[in-house]
Amino acid sequence: MNARLALVMACLFALTATSACRKKSAAPPDPLRRAYDVETDWNDPQKMIPLNYQEAQGKRLFYADCVWCHADSTPAGPSNRSNVTPAPPLMNDGATLNGESDEYLRNIIMLGGSAMGKSAMMPPYGQTIGEKEANQLIAYIRAIAQPPYQPSAKPQSGYPAKQ
Amino acid sequence: MAPEEMGKVTQRLRLWFAISSVLFVVVLAISPVKDLRHEWKQYKRAYVRYAESRPDTKRLLADYNPDIDQVWIPEMNVVDRCTTCHQGISKNSLADASVPQPFRAHPPIPHSIVNWGCVICHRGQGPATEVAEAHTTTLAWEQPMLPARFIQGPCGSCHLADRPETPKLNRGRALIDRLHCTGCHRLQNIDRPAMLGPDLSNVGTKVSRAWIYKWLKEPRTIVDADGNTVTNGYLTEEEPRMPFFKLSEDDLRALSGYLSTLRSHPMESSSINAAVLAKWAKNPETVSQGETRFRQMFCSTCHSLAVTRAGETKLIGGNIGPELTKVGSKVNPEWLVGWLRNPAGYLPHTRMPRYGWTDEDLYKVTRYIREQMVDPDLLKGVPALEQASPAEIKRGRELFLEKGCSSCHVIEGVPPQKDFGPDLSALGAKNVSQLDFGQSKIPRTLVSYIQAKLTDPSSVNPSARMPKFNFAAGDLDAITTALLSMTGPPATSALQHQVVPRDTPTFTAAGAFGEVYTRYRCYVCHKFNGYGGDLAPDLSYEGSRAQRAWLISFLKKPQTLRPTLVLRMPEFNMSDKEAATVADYLKMVLQHPAVNPDEANARASTPQLAALGKQLYEVKYQCQSCHTIGSGGGYVGPNLNNAGNWLTPAWMEAWLKNPQALVPGTIEPRRAFTPQEIQALTAYLMTLRHSGPAAAAGRGAQ
Ligand code: HEC
Repeated sequence: MNARLALVMACLFALTATSACRKKSAAPPDPLRRAYDVETDWNDPQKMIPLNYQEAQGKRLFYADCVWCHADSTPAGPSNRSNVTPAPPLMNDGATLNGESDEYLRNIIMLGGSAMGKSAMMPPYGQTIGEKEANQLIAYIRAIAQPPYQPSAKPQSGYPAKQ
Repeated sequence: MAPEEMGKVTQRLRLWFAISSVLFVVVLAISPVKDLRHEWKQYKRAYVRYAESRPDTKRLLADYNPDIDQVWIPEMNVVDRCTTCHQGISKNSLADASVPQPFRAHPPIPHSIVNWGCVICHRGQGPATEVAEAHTTTLAWEQPMLPARFIQGPCGSCHLADRPETPKLNRGRALIDRLHCTGCHRLQNIDRPAMLGPDLSNVGTKVSRAWIYKWLKEPRTIVDADGNTVTNGYLTEEEPRMPFFKLSEDDLRALSGYLSTLRSHPMESSSINAAVLAKWAKNPETVSQGETRFRQMFCSTCHSLAVTRAGETKLIGGNIGPELTKVGSKVNPEWLVGWLRNPAGYLPHTRMPRYGWTDEDLYKVTRYIREQMVDPDLLKGVPALEQASPAEIKRGRELFLEKGCSSCHVIEGVPPQKDFGPDLSALGAKNVSQLDFGQSKIPRTLVSYIQAKLTDPSSVNPSARMPKFNFAAGDLDAITTALLSMTGPPATSALQHQVVPRDTPTFTAAGAFGEVYTRYRCYVCHKFNGYGGDLAPDLSYEGSRAQRAWLISFLKKPQTLRPTLVLRMPEFNMSDKEAATVADYLKMVLQHPAVNPDEANARASTPQLAALGKQLYEVKYQCQSCHTIGSGGGYVGPNLNNAGNWLTPAWMEAWLKNPQALVPGTIEPRRAFTPQEIQALTAYLMTLRHSGPAAAAGRGAQ
């Protein structure tokens, strides 16, 4: 009889135990393979940077409009960077651009250099692209920055989703 | 029964009753406890804790709901409970990558989650409330979430027209089109083109049996990292469309034997006087002059050559036509002369233009090709092959049909095979149980199935007839994305309404212009009203843009307008009459409605206005950052040294007002010029004129 009781108890225990423990989900997949697009780190051709949708659209706009002056090589070959004065910052130049606010970047992209007291050689893009595209460009600039961009009011990270 | 015994039984029963009551209560409690520990409830609570750990708790919890959240759009079959756990999905302040999943905000996309849900794009099981059920394949659910790198696939299920936001999908579609997958497979929204592989009816006049043998054995053209040629030539960025068939020695002999006998008509032979030929042959400069002509004609705009500099071998040139480094060892000399004289005489649909060569030029260029673009080792390892025997020819013809060659290649008298391979038009919606994985060990998902098939068809099915292609990793993902987009007709009528069809523009050029247009194959590089290639400028509005005299001189002797361009307009040796025909047609027909020549021409330009324009150009707007005038300036935009002879004033005014209205997507930024500034800049640009031979030639032709 005691054996029977034990059996019943064991079954019950097993039942609760299985319902309590769950399949552990697999290790998080490689972020590059999950990314919408990737960009090579300009300073380190071996390293790839994953881009989300927003940043990937910024990359597309950058390679259409900005690469000519803000990179040292372009899809068409030589860069125009040496023809403009002052030499524009490379678009991944975190040392220069990380310190600028999104607001400032949006303004210089939309209104051009002369409106911001900078060189008129930085053209205004406000009539060509919209604010949405300017934000995509900024997202891309932030994503490729070296040293990496850290948003100022950074929320704490690594918060466990489960106890 | 004795009373004391009665009492014992009652006691036992009582004990049993007590135990089972306790058990009953415990069992009853299991369900609420289990319910409390539901995975989604844990995420709900974790989100509250997370929100409380942040400064913006109030905003994050404003619409908090302890129950299951769902997006329900009955007309689109959407019941998505993803937001139950992904609670921060539309909260801007949770966009940062440091926010832990599943709470991070979705990056901004063109569609709102409220109107579309999640599963239409990401796939997976929308109504599920458990992590595994929602994301992965389970016994009851066969459409797991797509890895995010294929997310552009679902875009393509509705957007049949290409969009700039989905480069991977567009590339995949272009590759499927270019590699002629439609030769054997039915595919959604990709039509079967008229010509797939080259017509082989006359291939026996072009190449030797030994070359055919080698090509069938190793169609790859590869040079390895040390610069050693591995097979037939060089690796180009473009995958050769001819895939790799695994053929046995007997098959190779039979097919090469059969194909080498195909000589439907002789190539046009030259009728040059033998004495003249002898004189040309004696010229010691012949080969080097041939090379100069080859360069001047800008053959490299479409064809590439391997160049070794400092020990590094690189391909230089375009990819519209085949790579030519070793073509001199490949083709028969008589064929080469006939081909260059009139390519359409050999292949009616070829994209190669018919140049106006003089006989002497043709002689020099073919000598150059046959003497310099060669490789004595090209046919190394090919066994001695004699005249094909009747048995080989018969077997070769059978093989040609068995292997599905006539899906892509035409041979006069051989019926074409359509739909030789399986129908793939709804492959992207297939369930795992519908796929045959054979003995392979790959993960049981649609994505891995597609990629294994594309990488090596025989890895999934050892007897597959599908040949092997050799894709770069990026192209493999692009083609997979495009195949995943082909999910058959939309599931609901509401989705059907969202479909953006693909438009296939056509342009027919009639009359005298049509003849020139066809002869020089203008459409291979230029677009006309949406139809044509995109290597060179769109000419749909060229008549509004360029002056007639300039057009004529440019057609006769093209110079580049953008110094950064490597690929240039070839020199066709057009006759004066042909150049005038093209210029007149462009001026008359290819006009932009917003460009009004009368208005701009009527405006008087004064030196003061031009001086103001110069001032604006150089100081206020600093256009020299992209354009060159004189010797200084940038080279993003065209060189403006000859703008006054080249562009019409009406075009300049319209362009300065709104460049994107004339050429959508042009990189010239639109500025807020005042009308007076526009007139001044136009007046200045119109003063910029070369007085060199080009302008004189243009005036002469007029
Ligand atoms: C014709 C060349 C040119 C093009 C094209 C161009 N820029 Fe610039 N840009 C400049 C120059 C020159 C400067 C430097 C201005 C200065 O420091 O006075 C500059 C400055 C900037 C700055 C500010 C850097 C700082 O530290 O203040 C940003 C941001 C920027 N560009 C973004 C862009 C983006 C985004 C695009 C494409 C939409 C673009 N630029 C296209 C020439 C160009």
